[in-house]
Amino acid sequence: MKLLIIEDEPSLNKSIVDYLTDRQYLCESASTYADAIEKVECYQYDCIVLDIMLPDGNGLKLLQQIKANNKTEGIIIISARNELDDKVAGIELGADDYLTKPFHLPELAVRISAIIRRKNLQGSNLLLFEEIQMDVPGKAVTVNNKALLLTRKEYDLLLYFIINKNRVLSKNAIAEHLWGDDMDMVDNHDFLYTHVKNLRKKLLQAGAKDYIQSIYGIGYKFSIA
Amino acid sequence: MKLFTKYNRINILASILIFLGGCIAFYFVMDHVLVKQLDESLETEQAEMAQYAKQHGNLPEIVNTNDQQVYVKEISQPIATAVYASSKTFNKNEQKKELMRQLVFGLSVSSKHYQITVNKSQEETEDLLKLIVLIAAVMVAFILLAGYIINRMVLKRLWQPFYSSMHTMANYQLQQPLHLPATTIEEFNLLNSTMNSMVARVEQDYQVLKEFTGNAAHEMQTPLAVISTNTESLMQDEAVLLHHHATISTIEEAAKRLSRLNQSLLLLTKIENRRFELDENVQWDVLVKQRLSELGRLATSQSLHITVHTVPVTTVFHQQLADILISNLLGNAIRYNMEGGSLNIELNEKELVIANTSPIPALDSTKIFNRFYRHPETKAEGNGLGLSIVHQLCNRAGYTLNYHYTGKEHVFTIRF
Repeated sequence: MKLLIIEDEPSLNKSIVDYLTDRQYLCESASTYADAIEKVECYQYDCIVLDIMLPDGNGLKLLQQIKANNKTEGIIIISARNELDDKVAGIELGADDYLTKPFHLPELAVRISAIIRRKNLQGSNLLLFEEIQMDVPGKAVTVNNKALLLTRKEYDLLLYFIINKNRVLSKNAIAEHLWGDDMDMVDNHDFLYTHVKNLRKKLLQAGAKDYIQSIYGIGYKFSIA
Repeated sequence: MKLFTKYNRINILASILIFLGGCIAFYFVMDHVLVKQLDESLETEQAEMAQYAKQHGNLPEIVNTNDQQVYVKEISQPIATAVYASSKTFNKNEQKKELMRQLVFGLSVSSKHYQITVNKSQEETEDLLKLIVLIAAVMVAFILLAGYIINRMVLKRLWQPFYSSMHTMANYQLQQPLHLPATTIEEFNLLNSTMNSMVARVEQDYQVLKEFTGNAAHEMQTPLAVISTNTESLMQDEAVLLHHHATISTIEEAAKRLSRLNQSLLLLTKIENRRFELDENVQWDVLVKQRLSELGRLATSQSLHITVHTVPVTTVFHQQLADILISNLLGNAIRYNMEGGSLNIELNEKELVIANTSPIPALDSTKIFNRFYRHPETKAEGNGLGLSIVHQLCNRAGYTLNYHYTGKEHVFTIRF
């Protein structure tokens, strides 16, 4: 899977590239409009992460250019401006998703994974992690080929864990993924704890090993060891 | 009071005073002139009698008429001076008292001395005077009336450009062209051109502000993104995590709060700058139920007792803003609620009432909608802007937002 990260802030660009490389993606980065347009025209990517405010041009214009060239890349916009107009304009121009800065890297990974899955409908849509198998379009989970019934939140949580496997995930990032802006409303950490506990219990009962590790003071990590 | 009314009042008052003064002066001048005329005719009478006496050596025959009576009295000493006087005297001919002008003078004929009194009626003079004053007064009244009517009719038309400019200004909204038509009146042209240039300046400032808020957002959100992504990278290092998990989670938390604060401030600025058009139909009952079912799931951890009474209510608002409004109010009602507390929601055509229990005592209703106001006992997780946003949204839509405390529940009421 080949990704292009277009972001003018070097340290942010690097963080994104590092994180996604770690997720087994092949990443290239561009930090200017000119650089980006050259790369887009020469190479084929599976997904493009696009910052719409670039020092030498507007990302929306770049988006138009990409779509005008009949490119089939999935495009996810990252913007500092939480402006409805930009969001609507971006989606209308053919972007697949829109993420407002600051965002959590695991969240970006989940969104990219969703876009790639949608783009490659003909390919495999199964997510595998050891004995756990997730059929994403069908929203079905099997453990050792036996169906596992999960609530919607538990399903979302498992998907988030598997896509971001082997990474320490903060409670904040998980809560924001599950509940969005509503995460501020209640003491979400207790709430999250309940969901994680239930998911772990169901996985164990279905015969899976315990992959959910609690990381003290931070959150969780989904991994073999 | 209208400028015209005020001006008219002063104008009419001054006119009346001037005309009144004029009439009084006119009266006295006329009176003086007419009496003088009468005196002259009395003097002529005196001269004629003296002439006659000189020529004939005796007094002329006295013929009294309505207008003039002459009385002759023989006296021992001659009188040197002639005295004029006005007095009310009995007129034998008319059988009534009337105002007379009198001349008393001495005349010596053939070594006899006479005191001669000539009376002339002043009544006609008075009548004439009254008539003249009356005509003057009526004229004055007519002039005032005509002036008033003309002013009223003409001024209304003259001020027309002013009112049309005001009407245009009242309907003016930022980022729309302002057309104030040219007029033939210099003052109105000045007003219109001043307004036009002022609006152009405001537009320019607004443009700068808009760019500033957009840029400020960008400039702040990107460093925040750098902080939060780097914090996430730092989390992956087990050794670092072991010793610094508290520090890392504090940084993450702070970056999150700063980002929310920034977004809330931007939202407030945008609402205040009227960046949103309220032109969508919002079904409040649907929205309330939907938000409540989403938030309610979070609320179950506190085992709240929730009661909802709604009827279908639709008003013209903004879908996304309505969502923010309801989320903020319901969010507060849930977040600041207590274990086993209650949340009551009542929605009808006139108002939306959200009442909730809370361990926090009554809030200061004068400060509650201020930015960054937080009750001292409030947990620090809110950014103190939620109610400001709700308040601004209500202002924008012309709804009234009220808060009161019943002693047990905090009650927020929105009147549509």
